[in-house]
Amino acid sequence: MTQSHDTTPASEIPEPTPEQIGSLLDELAGVELMGMLQSVQQRWGYLPAPVLREIARRTRTPLSRIYGVVSFYANFHTAPRGRHTVRACRGTACHVRGATKVLSAIERTLGITEGQSTPDLEFCLETVACLGTCFLGPVMMIDGEYFGNLTPESVQTILANYGTGE
Amino acid sequence: MTAPLKTIDDLQRLRDDLAARPAAEMDIRVCSTGCRARGALRVCQALEDAIAEAGLGETVRVVRTGCLGMCAGAVAVAVQPAGLFYRGVTVGDAAEIVERTVRRGEVLDRLCWQGADGPVPHREDIPFYRHQDRRVLANCGRIDPTSLDDALQAGAYASLATVLSGMPPEDVIEQVTASGLRGRGGAGFPTGRKWQLARAAAGEPKYVICNADEGDPGAFMDRALLEGDPHLVIEGMLIGAYAIGAARGTIYVRAEYPIAIEHTAAALAQARQRGLLGEDILGSGLDFEIEIRQGAGSFVCGEETSLIASIEGRRPMPRSRPPFPAVEGLYGKPTNINNVETWANVPRIIAAGPDAYAAVGTKRSKGTKIFALAGKVANTGLVEVPMGATLREIVFDIGGGIPRGRKFKAVQMGGPSGGCVPAQYLDRPIDYDSLREIGAIMGSGGLIVMDEATCMVDIARFFTEFVQAESCGKCVPCRVGTRRMLEILTRITNGQGELEDIDRLVALGEMIRDASLCGLGQTAPNPVLSTIRFFRHEYEAHIVEKRCPAHSCEALITTTCSSACPAHVNIPEYVALISEGRLAEALDVIRRRNPFASVCGRACDHPCERFCRRGDIDEPVGIRNLKRFATEQVTDTTVSPALRWHGPRSGKVAVIGSGPAGLSAGYFLALMGREVTVFEAMDVAGGVLRVGIPDYRLPREAVARDIDYIRDAGVEIRTGRKIESLQELRHAGFDAIFVAVGAHKGMTPGLEGEDLPGVWDALRFLREVSTGLLTEMAGAAVVIGGGNAAIDAARTALRLGAEPVTILYRRTRQEMPALPQEIEEAIMEGVRLHPLVAPIEILGEGRVSAVRCALMKLGPADEGGRRRPVPTGAEEVVRTDHVILAIGQASELDFVTPDGELVITRGRIETHPVTQRSGASDVFAGGDVVTGPATIVQAVAAGQRAAQAIDRFLGGKGELPITAGFASRRKPDESAAELPRQHPEAIPPQRRRQSFEEVLKEYTVEAARCEARRCLRCDLE
Repeated sequence: MTQSHDTTPASEIPEPTPEQIGSLLDELAGVELMGMLQSVQQRWGYLPAPVLREIARRTRTPLSRIYGVVSFYANFHTAPRGRHTVRACRGTACHVRGATKVLSAIERTLGITEGQSTPDLEFCLETVACLGTCFLGPVMMIDGEYFGNLTPESVQTILANYGTGE
Repeated sequence: MTAPLKTIDDLQRLRDDLAARPAAEMDIRVCSTGCRARGALRVCQALEDAIAEAGLGETVRVVRTGCLGMCAGAVAVAVQPAGLFYRGVTVGDAAEIVERTVRRGEVLDRLCWQGADGPVPHREDIPFYRHQDRRVLANCGRIDPTSLDDALQAGAYASLATVLSGMPPEDVIEQVTASGLRGRGGAGFPTGRKWQLARAAAGEPKYVICNADEGDPGAFMDRALLEGDPHLVIEGMLIGAYAIGAARGTIYVRAEYPIAIEHTAAALAQARQRGLLGEDILGSGLDFEIEIRQGAGSFVCGEETSLIASIEGRRPMPRSRPPFPAVEGLYGKPTNINNVETWANVPRIIAAGPDAYAAVGTKRSKGTKIFALAGKVANTGLVEVPMGATLREIVFDIGGGIPRGRKFKAVQMGGPSGGCVPAQYLDRPIDYDSLREIGAIMGSGGLIVMDEATCMVDIARFFTEFVQAESCGKCVPCRVGTRRMLEILTRITNGQGELEDIDRLVALGEMIRDASLCGLGQTAPNPVLSTIRFFRHEYEAHIVEKRCPAHSCEALITTTCSSACPAHVNIPEYVALISEGRLAEALDVIRRRNPFASVCGRACDHPCERFCRRGDIDEPVGIRNLKRFATEQVTDTTVSPALRWHGPRSGKVAVIGSGPAGLSAGYFLALMGREVTVFEAMDVAGGVLRVGIPDYRLPREAVARDIDYIRDAGVEIRTGRKIESLQELRHAGFDAIFVAVGAHKGMTPGLEGEDLPGVWDALRFLREVSTGLLTEMAGAAVVIGGGNAAIDAARTALRLGAEPVTILYRRTRQEMPALPQEIEEAIMEGVRLHPLVAPIEILGEGRVSAVRCALMKLGPADEGGRRRPVPTGAEEVVRTDHVILAIGQASELDFVTPDGELVITRGRIETHPVTQRSGASDVFAGGDVVTGPATIVQAVAAGQRAAQAIDRFLGGKGELPITAGFASRRKPDESAAELPRQHPEAIPPQRRRQSFEEVLKEYTVEAARCEARRCLRCDLE
């Protein structure tokens, strides 16, 4: 159930050790749940099940309630994801300027669909409701970097160059 | 000077110190927030490198600012104190900016905003800025948002100092109340009253929250404020905390805004370090601390009770109110939540005083509003205007209008909770209340412009998909109801809807609105309800005609160009054939949907090009010119064996009228094996093509060639034969009749003096010129009207020798229905345009001598969004020797009226939109007689549809020839990406006045090949 929208096979994932979990959660003592989850995800790129269990134990909160929070938000993930996160904007402004075609081009180029990671764990693909850069639509973000005025043609070039020093 | 400030005097001393410091002589301000998406940080670095290299490091400073506003001009750069504004700056421009602008004080024209009359170097002269009133955004784009010193120099925390210098909290609330400030997050609740409630509530500690969970797709005001001027928001919260008595504050910001988080966190740290946050702030006894909380991607968290649950670490579902957060909020304590922009307004109110603040705006909405202007508008960006500005000011004056010459359709305001505002409300002053009246809301201020290529059903589906995904699931009407709505909308956009679906959507929408707990659910149906209210015809087109009028719903179109072509010519196919040099086949593909290839290659209004996807990259493919090229290269007028009907013919069809609608219907029926006779009252065939469009635009040889081709398909044309009644044709044994008599009767305005010699109606005038009856015109001529017939008449009069030729039009050039290119060419040739005059009387003794006109001005928009002319009361007399009236065209329908079997409304025959069938089962009609004056290709399409329906009526299948599978299926190679649009030569304007020689020349073989290769081949996707 916790693997609902993530697709990477669990066997390839290095699980965090109990020591790593302990030391991070020690640092986070007293922090509210949302902040704790955000820090954990920042550390491992996703929310490993053992960490969630340990949070539940330490905060005396039922695991089901924590899962209720985790599964509510679009940005929390319970399985590891590609090294680079591609976020394609589905916002209104992007939509009216051809975001649908841009998203199909990204999916074709990476060979994955929304919510998936590439088998080499290089890229994962998400869509977001709006990146707030509507003036540049259609837009995507790769990690922290924005790419605007996209066309199905230009995304291919951008993705091909990504990670090769450009 | 990093010691904490202990008193208000310390703050003032620091401000004085900063002011006394030597400042840089020149600031180069670079937007390093929004423009990062276009490499702004690299531009900053390159500028700094160039400045260092030039040894100017001491005197010139690169300021990494927040948003400069004109996001369409990313990367945007301002040079101070010169007041220059550069747009589209890249790393490669840095050296030249430093060398020429910084060192030598020169303006780089190529980087300036381009107006109609050339480059506009100064920011204050650019219409985008000139029409704005940037108050809350005053420092955004001016200061370095990561520098507290910069903010202090620009006046930050001065209002806080005022408040802490002994103003009682009640007075602060009183001032905010008196200012009339209403919540900028959307609902518009009075801020002062909200503060009052929180102050009055019992319970400690109290909290204030800044809602920066700007979740509406299309809104980016809050992001820009936090990125560009975070101290302004912090100051607002401090003042609010003091007024309410709160000890702790939270800024709840979307995780999708990393720069906003970075700048806000930096600003909080600086404020804390300087003693502007923490205990006993500036010695006033105020203790206040702010922390940042990040969202994690959930729209409903913008709802205040959800937001509180999210901060508390609970599953963020809204709860019912009361108790309101003011009484029972965060951790059960009194809590005041305001949106970012609301907080940012607070210091302004204290600084200016409530009266000065309230002097701006409308009666019930005070101050300014920031809008995020995006979508199909030239100058996308961040815009601040007084409440009460009109959409026309925002979209056209500031936004620069709609790119690509497309038509404005609507503005979507308020995101998924808002609605679409159509063109007829362009001139309505907008504030909280006026928007609510027309089914939209202010929302947080996202303003998305939509043009004719935006499908309103698809937009409704898009927003419904969004709210469906974001519905928290607590209320069944919202959770299940939005899903049902989404299913229905998806069905409609796929062409599988039924007419009852529209009523179902309305019923569902009203139920969801009434039965949901929180704002998300209550407003979720708004986009659907508002598009049904204003664009029901688009829903009906999807359902009844299986047609997407915006050519955007993929299930209903092949490619946008072919869909936009009323005749649905397979454009990518023939363009590809031209690129391969297979011209005869290209022409054959065109003729499979449109027999008037030569005509349309010249005189088509080419809607295909307006919808060509290549136009989103640079310029659309020159489709019309390519079509003409094919017809000039291949002059053969025989029908290809594959198309020709070889068997015996059956089913007799009479066509009345030999214009584009009639002959097209005849042609397709002939290809389907029917026996077709076309009756033409005039002595020449071709209708308006032959006698209505002047030769310089459409040479008669081109018309003749297409008619020869149609005859070759098996159509018999009888000219000089007027039909007196439908019965006459039935008696003659015709099984079906197609009425396509066009609209050849010029309408008259009913003015005094319109019967004087020297007064013409434009159609008669053009007809007499094209049939050789009229060959000269001496003296001055005025043309009254603004449509294509008016332009044709004016350019023709010019060629006959009239001088001067003046067009009198009651609105302005922008509102003229004539094709913009035609207007342009007329003016180039010397036609004068006299706008904003309406004729009242034609004067003259025995012959026309002048026109008496009322002077007009533009009033508010009419139903279609065009501004209405309103008399100013003044008059003018225009001297002239000839008056040509081009104010409208009607059809002559005497021959059908006595039958009483056709429905005729306002002089036009009513037909079914798909079959063109009239009230009588064997009578079909199409072209101008149904639509009123329309385009050639619309008439061709009507003939095509009628032919299919008539063939079915006669027992056939009504199938048109296939149009795909001829060209290769290769995508264009990459070199085609760089090719610019090819423009054919035109004869020089001065030579045009002397002859009826065709103005535009055809492509060279080389140019045609290049142009054809520019096609993106969307048909292969």
